[in-house]
Amino acid sequence: MSRRQVPAGVSFAGMDPSTGFDAELLRRYDRPGPRYTSYPTAPLFSPQFGESALREHAQRSNAEPIPRELSLYLHIPYCISPCFYCACNRVITRDATRSAPYLARLVREIGMMAPLFDRDRDVIQLHLGGGTPNFLRPDQLGELIGSLGRHFHFSTSPGRDFSIELDPRLVQDGDIAAYAALGLNRASLGVQDFDPQVQRAVNRIQGIDPTLQVIEACRLNGLRSVNVDLIYGLPRQTLSGFERTLDTLLEVRPDRLAVYGYAHLPELFKPQRQIQSADLPGAELRLDLLRLAIDRLTAAGYRYIGMDHFALPDDPLTQAQDAGRLHRNFMGYTIHADCDLIGLGVSAISHIGDSFSQNARELAGWERALDEGRLPLWRGVELDADDLLRADAIQQLMCHGAIDIATLEDRYQIDFQAYFADALRQLRPLQADGLVVADARRIAATSRGRLMLRIIAMCFDRYLVPAAEPRHSRVI
Amino acid sequence: MPAPSRSPRNPVADDGDEFRFCSTCAFSAACLVSGFDKSRLGELHVLVEHAGPYRAGEHVFREGDRFNAIAAVRVGTVKTYVTDPDGREQVHGFFLPGEVIGLNAISRARYPCNAVALETVMLCRFAFPTMAELATRMPGLQQQLFRLLSQDIGKAALLAGNFSAEHRMAAFLIALSRRYAACGFRADRYQLKMSRTDIANYLRLAAETVSRIFRRFQDQGLIRVQRREIQLLNRQALENMAETVLRDFAPN
Repeated sequence: MSRRQVPAGVSFAGMDPSTGFDAELLRRYDRPGPRYTSYPTAPLFSPQFGESALREHAQRSNAEPIPRELSLYLHIPYCISPCFYCACNRVITRDATRSAPYLARLVREIGMMAPLFDRDRDVIQLHLGGGTPNFLRPDQLGELIGSLGRHFHFSTSPGRDFSIELDPRLVQDGDIAAYAALGLNRASLGVQDFDPQVQRAVNRIQGIDPTLQVIEACRLNGLRSVNVDLIYGLPRQTLSGFERTLDTLLEVRPDRLAVYGYAHLPELFKPQRQIQSADLPGAELRLDLLRLAIDRLTAAGYRYIGMDHFALPDDPLTQAQDAGRLHRNFMGYTIHADCDLIGLGVSAISHIGDSFSQNARELAGWERALDEGRLPLWRGVELDADDLLRADAIQQLMCHGAIDIATLEDRYQIDFQAYFADALRQLRPLQADGLVVADARRIAATSRGRLMLRIIAMCFDRYLVPAAEPRHSRVI
Repeated sequence: MPAPSRSPRNPVADDGDEFRFCSTCAFSAACLVSGFDKSRLGELHVLVEHAGPYRAGEHVFREGDRFNAIAAVRVGTVKTYVTDPDGREQVHGFFLPGEVIGLNAISRARYPCNAVALETVMLCRFAFPTMAELATRMPGLQQQLFRLLSQDIGKAALLAGNFSAEHRMAAFLIALSRRYAACGFRADRYQLKMSRTDIANYLRLAAETVSRIFRRFQDQGLIRVQRREIQLLNRQALENMAETVLRDFAPN
């Protein structure tokens, strides 16, 4: 995504999406759409983007008067058992010895990537994702973070975010204290739903108490923030079961909550073939589950940040949205705008300069490249001037629910109305449905439209042509 | 649909033709004052030839190449530099549209430095010594050559004095602004075509220092930096800082 800021005042802070909840409209607009963690979106990346292009973009990013800070993403692909809903890139194994060779190659990749970036570019964000990052034991994570610390310069700013995704089922006594000692200050826990029926249907049996104990341990050890991921639309999910899950979590008040809609794309994601279509909630129930989550969370004082994300009012994410400084990348919403994102590990995505690129998706390909001393690139894209402009517009929409027209006109020296005549035409039916308001100053999602930001953003996507097979999850 | 630019590009000079000078031509005024228009220059067999495009990173000439022409930049930015015996690069200067490179070769038979394009560059080459001979018959042209030569020496003054890093940087930004304005571009908003290491090298500062000062200037509300674009928000404050450095330096 483009990493521009939107002037304060165009945030849709404080709006409660449940007031705009319109089941009929949501149904009508429920169609596949990109999540816009990048623009252009990943399906448009091309294998023609190679190592020399990546090096050039890194070099150009170093050459800027104030080079951007760095954000590191490390992908740990291993999981001990397959969750059937999963659309992530992962490798199922109970063999803990597999982590050592992976770690060794990851350290090699760090050693190859780091020299591309000037040493005075601080790492302000670090995220360990997966897979299951805590498939690695704390001493292995320590080795990894130690290697990063030798090759990059970690920011000493108190605002730095060093986070880890946790499978609470793998957390052992003392792990959280060890993470804190490594400098990690945020954790994100997968929960999905505590309902045992659902847990069986998705092959993820996870007790309430052990999960809450992990949250407790995070707080005791001074981790600044805990996020919990939930999913609605899972097989055998019920309103009452999901409600109990929400109530259970609201008692411990995680700082952030993500409520993702399950995207059933079994033709794209093999594990999902284990899910019986007959067990999936219908459109009606999906909507009710979503509405339930929104109602409960907003009533409990959470702010709806956008897309799937909720945060407490004093959370930095909420404050960044109020200040117009919210940003969105592959890791979701973040307060760290203007970073170059370096993705390390199998399938990881980077955003360096005006480029996106992705590592080999298969473990074998990633390993081979590193063993041969090559960067394990698979594909990527260089953004042209039009991409940059549209990425900026879409970023503004996804983060602040509005596009500030004067800002874009000044930044890109365009006449907005003329340049986006097509997009504005596509927006008209959305305006008629009360999802968007548009005037000479701004394009803004209404409280109804907030739940359909993707639909609005899609009007600004130059590459969208109706596809025969859905390559993106459904909007709702 | 007009292509958007990330920010206002430093505009391109409009090209001249057989009968008109390019708008940024370094010599047009001098020649016109002396009563020569472009077609008469042609008659005088002065070699005025358009050269390029040179792509970013491509050399226009290298140190030691035989000197046979000075060249005015028509489009783009050129960096001149030498490499010291330890292999370290030393940046001599940056040349914008309307500015002339190769002047420091006039007294020698060979270019004393390298010149490399920082972006796509188009040049206008004026053959030497033909042009020098012409200058003896055209007082205006001669004066213009002297003026250019003295400015070229003046640029070096930016580096010579014992000035603070902030003052050098302010002088650099103000000088660029004046030079862009002189050839008809925006004075308050321009793209830095050179890398921060080039700027650092030119100002004899560390790259980190260059970034630190840019950040400080931005925090103080003097400038806004977006990627490579600089906007001067408080020109007066920058002028005040730049004054001591630029005192002896006549801008184009």
